[in-house]
Amino acid sequence: MRHWLLALLLCVSLTGCEINQSTIPFFGPSVVEQERPVVNIPLALRQRNWVGNQREGSCVHATMISLMRWQGRMNLANHWRQTYGNGEWPDGLSAKFDREKVRYAYTEKGDVKFIEWACRTRRGCGITVMGGAHMVALVHLDAKWAGLLDNNNVSKIKWVPREMLIAEWKASYGWAVTPVYTPAAPLPQ
Amino acid sequence: MKRLLLALCALCLFAAPCFADATYGVLAEERVINLPNDQGKWYVSVVGNAQDAQYQTILKWFNTNPSLRKLKNQVHFNAVTTDTMIYRDRYSMNVKGLPTVRMQNNQGVVIYEAAGKNLPFTPEGLYAAMADGFNKVQGIRPILPWRRNHVCPGPCPQPGPGPGPDDPTPDPEPQPIDDGNAPVIDQPVEAGLPPLWLMLLVLIVSAGAGVAVQWKETYAKK
Repeated sequence: MRHWLLALLLCVSLTGCEINQSTIPFFGPSVVEQERPVVNIPLALRQRNWVGNQREGSCVHATMISLMRWQGRMNLANHWRQTYGNGEWPDGLSAKFDREKVRYAYTEKGDVKFIEWACRTRRGCGITVMGGAHMVALVHLDAKWAGLLDNNNVSKIKWVPREMLIAEWKASYGWAVTPVYTPAAPLPQ
Repeated sequence: MKRLLLALCALCLFAAPCFADATYGVLAEERVINLPNDQGKWYVSVVGNAQDAQYQTILKWFNTNPSLRKLKNQVHFNAVTTDTMIYRDRYSMNVKGLPTVRMQNNQGVVIYEAAGKNLPFTPEGLYAAMADGFNKVQGIRPILPWRRNHVCPGPCPQPGPGPGPDDPTPDPEPQPIDDGNAPVIDQPVEAGLPPLWLMLLVLIVSAGAGVAVQWKETYAKK
């Protein structure tokens, strides 16, 4: 009887010795270094501000064009650059977006959740600053910092404390707007 | 008559602010309300030369092959050509060849990548390779090739209409807006297997029976 049991135990212990590599759980990189800014628009795709035919700055349009390019809408961006310009307000931009069948989202209420969403989903958004006189692209927002791409100086990202940015934005009508398409993929980790 | 006029005037006075409020409320309404919480979506990039036939073929697969098309609709899909700034700035230094198919999770971690001659030459092969990458990350064992046909026992879905003309210039069709997350890769094979405890039981019983028979053959004569 003892021999039986020993033999059975031996058989059972020998089963399952083959290692199946695919069943080994994947332990990928535990800490992933997030790209900063999350909306890392290549320099060549950043649209500079320009003076429109009514001698007005086109900061809103420049910001939208940069975001369109980041979201893969190159032709739309080129069309926008050739068609629109000058100063802009929420209703005017919405009317143009509707006319061009552009998919977009915006807030005029200074809703922080909106700008958090825009950066969390890596789309970015245009936000009003300088009391509503200017629009820049918000390209990063985390617990401490906000990254701004100013169309008057597209060569660098300006970093400001998060709370300071929110205060400035809310004091500038709290308008934020973005096209809603597919953001560029993150750099491979 | 005077009373009637007075009543009309009073009605106008009180009703006007109500209409104004209603108009103001409509004007203040947000046009897009349901923002897609798709920060968890994965990314699939197809990178290549716009004139390259292999690149164009792979792009077509993502429109015509049902599995790849389903995957495409679950991820942020980027078709990137080598003549764009996005390619020069974000892909040229990290692709190993052209064309490249790369799948990344929402953090940017590469889950699957193949380029040039390392790419499968059928859409089914490409999907299977991407599914293998996905499965490894999820800790799921791969589907054995001979089981793959069991995926669709009934009539298989028909491919949708083909893509438009081969002109890469137009912007791609906008992808659906949804609260995406990691893509769902079909894993139907798991359901077809018996439970683990049953397999173990059968294994132990058969091993025991085999040992018993051999034992008898060896020692019964003595």
